[in-house]
Amino acid sequence: MLTICHLYPDLLNLYGDRGNVIAFVRRCRWRNLPVRVQEVNIGEPLNFKEIDFLFLGGGSDREQTLLIKDLKKHSESLHEAIEEGLVLLAICGGYQMLGQYYRTHEGEEIPGLGLLDFYTEAGPKRLIGNVAVEISMENLVFKATGFENHSGQTFLGKIEPLGRVLAGYGNNGRDRKEGARYKNVFCSYLHGPLLPKNVSFTDLLINLALKRRGIETELLPLEDSFEERANQVMLDRLIKK
Amino acid sequence: MGLRLSAAILAGKLTALVSRVMGWKGSSLPGLVARKVYPRVLKKLGTEPRKGVIIVTGTNGKTTTNNMLARIVTGAGYKILHNSEGANLITGVTTGFVKAASVFGRINCDYALLEVDEASFPKVVREVKPQIVIITNFFRDQLDRYGELDTTITIVKKTLTELKGVHLVLNADDPLVAQFQRKTGLTATFYGLAGNERSSTAGSYTREAKFCPFCGEALQYAYYHYSQLGAFDCPGCGYKRPSPEVEAEQVKALLAGTDCKVRHTTGSTALHIPTGGFYNIYNALAAFTTGLLLKINPTQAAESLRGYAPAIGRMESFIYGEKPVLLNLVKNPTGFNESLAAVLAAPGDKDLFIAINDNDADGRDISWLWDVDFEILEKNHYGFTGFICSGKRAEEMAVRLKYAGVPTNKISITGDLEAAVNEVLEARGGAAYLLSTYTALWTVQKILLKQAEKGESNAHHMPSVS
Repeated sequence: MLTICHLYPDLLNLYGDRGNVIAFVRRCRWRNLPVRVQEVNIGEPLNFKEIDFLFLGGGSDREQTLLIKDLKKHSESLHEAIEEGLVLLAICGGYQMLGQYYRTHEGEEIPGLGLLDFYTEAGPKRLIGNVAVEISMENLVFKATGFENHSGQTFLGKIEPLGRVLAGYGNNGRDRKEGARYKNVFCSYLHGPLLPKNVSFTDLLINLALKRRGIETELLPLEDSFEERANQVMLDRLIKK
Repeated sequence: MGLRLSAAILAGKLTALVSRVMGWKGSSLPGLVARKVYPRVLKKLGTEPRKGVIIVTGTNGKTTTNNMLARIVTGAGYKILHNSEGANLITGVTTGFVKAASVFGRINCDYALLEVDEASFPKVVREVKPQIVIITNFFRDQLDRYGELDTTITIVKKTLTELKGVHLVLNADDPLVAQFQRKTGLTATFYGLAGNERSSTAGSYTREAKFCPFCGEALQYAYYHYSQLGAFDCPGCGYKRPSPEVEAEQVKALLAGTDCKVRHTTGSTALHIPTGGFYNIYNALAAFTTGLLLKINPTQAAESLRGYAPAIGRMESFIYGEKPVLLNLVKNPTGFNESLAAVLAAPGDKDLFIAINDNDADGRDISWLWDVDFEILEKNHYGFTGFICSGKRAEEMAVRLKYAGVPTNKISITGDLEAAVNEVLEARGGAAYLLSTYTALWTVQKILLKQAEKGESNAHHMPSVS
């Protein structure tokens, strides 16, 4: 049984983020892998040891400050879980929260959880539009598509990006880097939502979660033509051959 | 300056004429041209309506509310000017005025009834001073254009705070709307819907207002109508659903529309709304309340509403052979959920056509499809013979349905609108439902008009929404 945790679904679910949870769950169930989904809201108990896949979505600025206070209480145990291989996907606002700080337009530094080595600053304009990213990890190279909408610009320290921007802005619109990766933590601005259209990525996350539970298995292949077509439509539009 | 005004009006009218000859919709271009010739054209013409300007803004229901209000106001014998087709940006509003104006800049009307997009609201209000502003509701919609919902609300609030002497007509059931009275200090009349058997006590995913706009505490609800609309109260500061001056009760969904009783300050009036869809009660209430403010006789207003005919793509009905066909606009999660509820409530087997475009006017980001509760189809897909996905993002729509639990052999992808409309008309189901985003709507309607008969009553084949 894999346990999926959608953290603060009430607050961190702007822009259809829950599509990522839906995709993870469906692709497990289609393979008869038992899964359960836990929704954890502010103030509720949280045990990262029981969680196999943790999802953090994006939220509006106001709501983010509310929940960072709550999440701070768990930052120690989250840190431990990350180090021992917790599979975590963080999108947009959830991504920014894992870093060192967010510097607002007014120059105020809002501290993040400080779990990963990057920081975010409010940029002069909102970075909005369709994105294509080339992602290579494990034995996998693929092109992911999604939509980004963020005014924060993120700069990575000693940490790998998730991918290379082919079209769109990515972390900051300057260094062509998109997202961040540390151990089994994957961060991205692609809220598109990322997982339903990028099935090999989803399957990689499922594999990593199983591996952490000591289960090494070949995932049953699924029929993915809709997903591949949806991704291809956007790639064809964004990348001129 | 009169010369430049005349030149602008002429240029706008000429553009409208050319547009018509070319077969374009031409709702914003004439305004754009007129504004280029004379930027103050709207400011000048905006003072022409003899009795004033009424603006409807909010996320959903602007067009319907404005058209319902138009019926009530003209039914009372007034002459009006209005932008009836959803051309609700500043250029579209300008077009409405330019078309109605004489070359000397005179407009023969009592009221201008304007629907105005939330983001354009500050710009329009800077040029046209409204007497009454109606706010329908606030939902997540086209976030790529507007940024966050909070931003939109703040902009509208700030604009209203700077206005003097405006009377607000507010939805009491939406905590995001009801706050406007206190936040702006303006006079307001509230309308709302009493609890009924359809109201639920459980939440759903697409809820926008979780926290009190005054103190930040989590809001509590006695009941929900849909999304964040319902009887809310804040345990922190006591902010709660204002008791509405105009309130609908005993709502009955009928085959040919909706009936309800409306209690107001001078008595009680029976309303018949000739279109289904739960949300249309709110639109009718907003229009009715405004009618009362204009001192229009409530019985007469109700009579006018009875004759309301929905605008294009608002539960618009057609007949193909024997088959009932219904077209509805979808543009955000809440509206889509309500449309799905209406389709599911319809008896018999049916086919569902969904066209998703991602042009600017639709919103370039279609991620909101993942916030629609399509999961309801996992248990209910048996009532459908097929799901036809169309438009520029047909593939993504198909993915969404698949992950909602619809069997893939029931889903087809036909990007081309004409082919897809024909497919749904010819499909095996006894009824066809077409849901479409904004920029595909006119094309789909045009194809339907060519292939099918226009339905007599728009609500005739509407299910009871219970």
